[in-house]
Amino acid sequence: MKLRIILFFLITILCSAIFISACKNNDVPGDNVPYNPTYINLEVPAGWPTPPDIYVNNKLTEEGFQLGKKLFYDGRLSKDGNFPCASCHQQFAAFATYDHDFSHGFNNTFTTRNAPGLFNLAWMTKLHWDGGINHIEVQPLAPITAQNEMAETVENVLNKLKADGDYPRMFQSAFGTTEINSQKLLKALAQFMGTIVSSNAKYDKVKRGEASFTAPEQNGYNLFKAKCETCHKEPLFTDNSFRNNGMAVNTFLNDYGRMRISNDKNDSLKFKVPSLRNVILTFPYMHDGRFYSIGQAIDHYRTGIITTQPTLDPLLINRIAITNTEKNDLIYFLQTLTDTTMTRSPRFAQ
Amino acid sequence: MNRTLLILLFSTGLFLLSCQKSPDEDLRTGTVKITFKNTVKGNPLVLNTGVYSNSFGEQYNVAKFKYYISNVVMNGTQISAGSSEYYLVDEGNAASLSFSFTAKSQIYSSLSFLLGVDSARNVSGAQTGALDPLNDMFWTWNSGYIMAKLEGTSPQSTVVNNKVEYHIGGFAGTNSVLKNINLTVPSSINVPLNVDPDKTCEIFIEADLDTWWQGAYDLKIAVNPAATHPGALAKNISDNYSNMFKITDVKLY
Ligand code: HEC
Ligand code: HEC
Repeated sequence: MKLRIILFFLITILCSAIFISACKNNDVPGDNVPYNPTYINLEVPAGWPTPPDIYVNNKLTEEGFQLGKKLFYDGRLSKDGNFPCASCHQQFAAFATYDHDFSHGFNNTFTTRNAPGLFNLAWMTKLHWDGGINHIEVQPLAPITAQNEMAETVENVLNKLKADGDYPRMFQSAFGTTEINSQKLLKALAQFMGTIVSSNAKYDKVKRGEASFTAPEQNGYNLFKAKCETCHKEPLFTDNSFRNNGMAVNTFLNDYGRMRISNDKNDSLKFKVPSLRNVILTFPYMHDGRFYSIGQAIDHYRTGIITTQPTLDPLLINRIAITNTEKNDLIYFLQTLTDTTMTRSPRFAQ
Repeated sequence: MNRTLLILLFSTGLFLLSCQKSPDEDLRTGTVKITFKNTVKGNPLVLNTGVYSNSFGEQYNVAKFKYYISNVVMNGTQISAGSSEYYLVDEGNAASLSFSFTAKSQIYSSLSFLLGVDSARNVSGAQTGALDPLNDMFWTWNSGYIMAKLEGTSPQSTVVNNKVEYHIGGFAGTNSVLKNINLTVPSSINVPLNVDPDKTCEIFIEADLDTWWQGAYDLKIAVNPAATHPGALAKNISDNYSNMFKITDVKLY
C-alpha cells in the first residue's frame, strides 16, 4: 500500500511537471549566441538638470554605443562613401565642422546651415536650428537622405550593412539578433551621439572647486551672467528656446528658422539658442556661420542687432552695452568653456 | 488500484484545466477582418491609368494613395492587441488593403479607428513595422508622420509637371490632421457585425478619395495643387477626407 501511494505521488508530480512545462511559452529561438550586453548609464554631471529620458525605449549598452560609433564614422552611410556623419561633425571641433560656415555634402554641394557641435544632446528637447527634429533617434534620417549631405536612401544603407562582415555580429551583441533594420540603426546612433557629454572644461573645474578663474575670466563670467545668461543658460549654456537675436535675414537662403516648422509668423527669424560650450572651437558662428570670429559675434550684440524686427527678442531691443575691455574679458571667459577632455577622448574617437 | 487511477485522472485533469484560460463562454473569440476598397465616387481606383474628375470638373489621375489606420476599437472599446496595431493601407500594395485581428465573440454595433498615427508615436523616436521610415511616410526635416498621402497629376495643376501632391500630416495643436472615424453598418446592409467563435466577420470599407477636394471646404486643384507640410491647408484637406469612409458590406464566414 505504501509503495502504491508513493507511486501515485510520483506520477502526479511527473504529470503536473509535463503540463506546467506545456503551459510555458516556448523560448523564441535566437541566433544561438547568448545576449549578454553590458548596460551603461548616461553620465549626468553633478548639479545638472535631469535630462528627459531619451533612452526609455533604447536601453543603453556598451555594445550599442560601440555600434553607434562605428556607424557615425562609416562612409557607407552616404551614397559615395565620402560623407560619414564625422565628415561634418569632427571631434576636434567639438563635433562641428571646423572652420566652415557651410559643410560639404555629396557631389560638391553645401549644407544650408552651419553644422552645430554635438554634445549634451540628451538635454536638448528639439534638434536642428529650427527645432524641426523632435527626437534624437530620428535625426539621422535627415542627413542620410538629404541630397546636399549624404544623399543616400535608408534602404541602401541597410543593404550595405547587411552585406558587411562585422555589422550583423555587432547588431547581435547590441540588440540580441543579427537583424538589421532602420530602427536599430537609428537607436545605435542615438546611443553614441546622446552620450557625448561635455562637462570638463575649465569652467566646470572652477565650479567643482578644482581650479580658479583668472581676474579677466572672472570679470567675463560676471558680465556673462549679467548680459547673456538668460538665453545661454548655465550649465548647458542654452535654455533650449527659439529666439530672434536680431540678425538680418540671409537673403540668399531666406531662412526664417522656427517659422518653417510652426507656421507661425511670430516665430519668424527665431533660431534655437545654441550652447556656448566649446564655442571657441565651433566657429564660424550663427545658423548660417556669418561671423567668423567670436569677437564679431559679440560685436553683433553691441552694435549689429537690427532693432526694428517685430520678432526681435525683447531682451535685445536696446542692444547690449559692452565696452572693449568687457568684450575681451567675455572672450577670456568663453575660452574657459572649451572641453579638451571631450574633444580628445578616445572613447568618442574613430 | 481503481481508486488510485481515478484520483490520478482527476488530478491530471485539474492540471490540464489550470493551463487553460477560465472556461467562461464570453472569452471565446473570432476574427475581424477589415478590407479597404479605395474608390473614386464608388468606382474602383485604378492607379496611374484611371482618369477621374472632381466636382469642379478638374481632371486627375492618381499614382499613390496611402493612409495610416490605427487604434481600431469596436463598441468604443479596444478589442485586442492586433486591433491596436498600426496599419499602412497602400493602394499600390494589395496585401495592405486587408488586415485582421481577434475579437471577443459578440454582436458589435460600431467600428472606429484613428486615421493617422497618434501623437505619442510621432514624438517617441525610431519606430518599426508599418511605422518604419522606409515606408516613405515620415518627414525627416520636421519630425512626424504623413498620415495620408495622395499623389498624381492634373492638367489644372500649376506646379511642375502638373503634379498633384498632398502629404497630409501634423499631429499637434489646431492644425492636427488626426481624425477619429466612427462607422456603423448602414441599414441597407442587413448583416450585423457578428463575431462568432472561430469565425470571421469581414467588414468592407470604401474610401472615396474624391472627398479630398470637397465637403467641409471647396479645394480646387487649380488653387491647391500641393500640400506638403503641416498647416491650415493640410488641416482643411483632412476635414474633407474625414468623410471618405463608409461600410459597404459585411460578410460572415
Ligand atoms: C554634410 C554635412 C553633414 C553630415 C554628413 C551630417 N551632418 Fe549633422 N548636421 C549638419 C548640419 C548643417 C546641421 C544643422 C542642420 C539644421 O539645423 O538644419 C546638422 C545637425 C545635426 C544634429 C542636430 C544638432 C543640434 O544641435 O540641433 C545632429 C544630432 C546631427 N547633425 C547628427 C548627425 C548624424 C548622426 C549624422 C550621420 C548620420 C550627421 N549629422 C551627418 C551637417 C551634417
Ligand atoms: C535674447 C537671447 C540671447 C541673448 C541675451 C544672447 N544670445 Fe547669443 N544667441 C542667441 C540666439 C537665438 C543665437 C542663435 C542665432 C542664430 O543663429 O540665428 C545666439 C548665438 C550666439 C552665438 C553663436 C554660437 C554658435 O555656435 O554659432 C554666440 C557666440 C553668442 N550667441 C554669444 C552671446 C553672448 C556673448 C551674449 C551676451 C553678450 C549673448 N549671446 C546673448 C540668443 C541670445
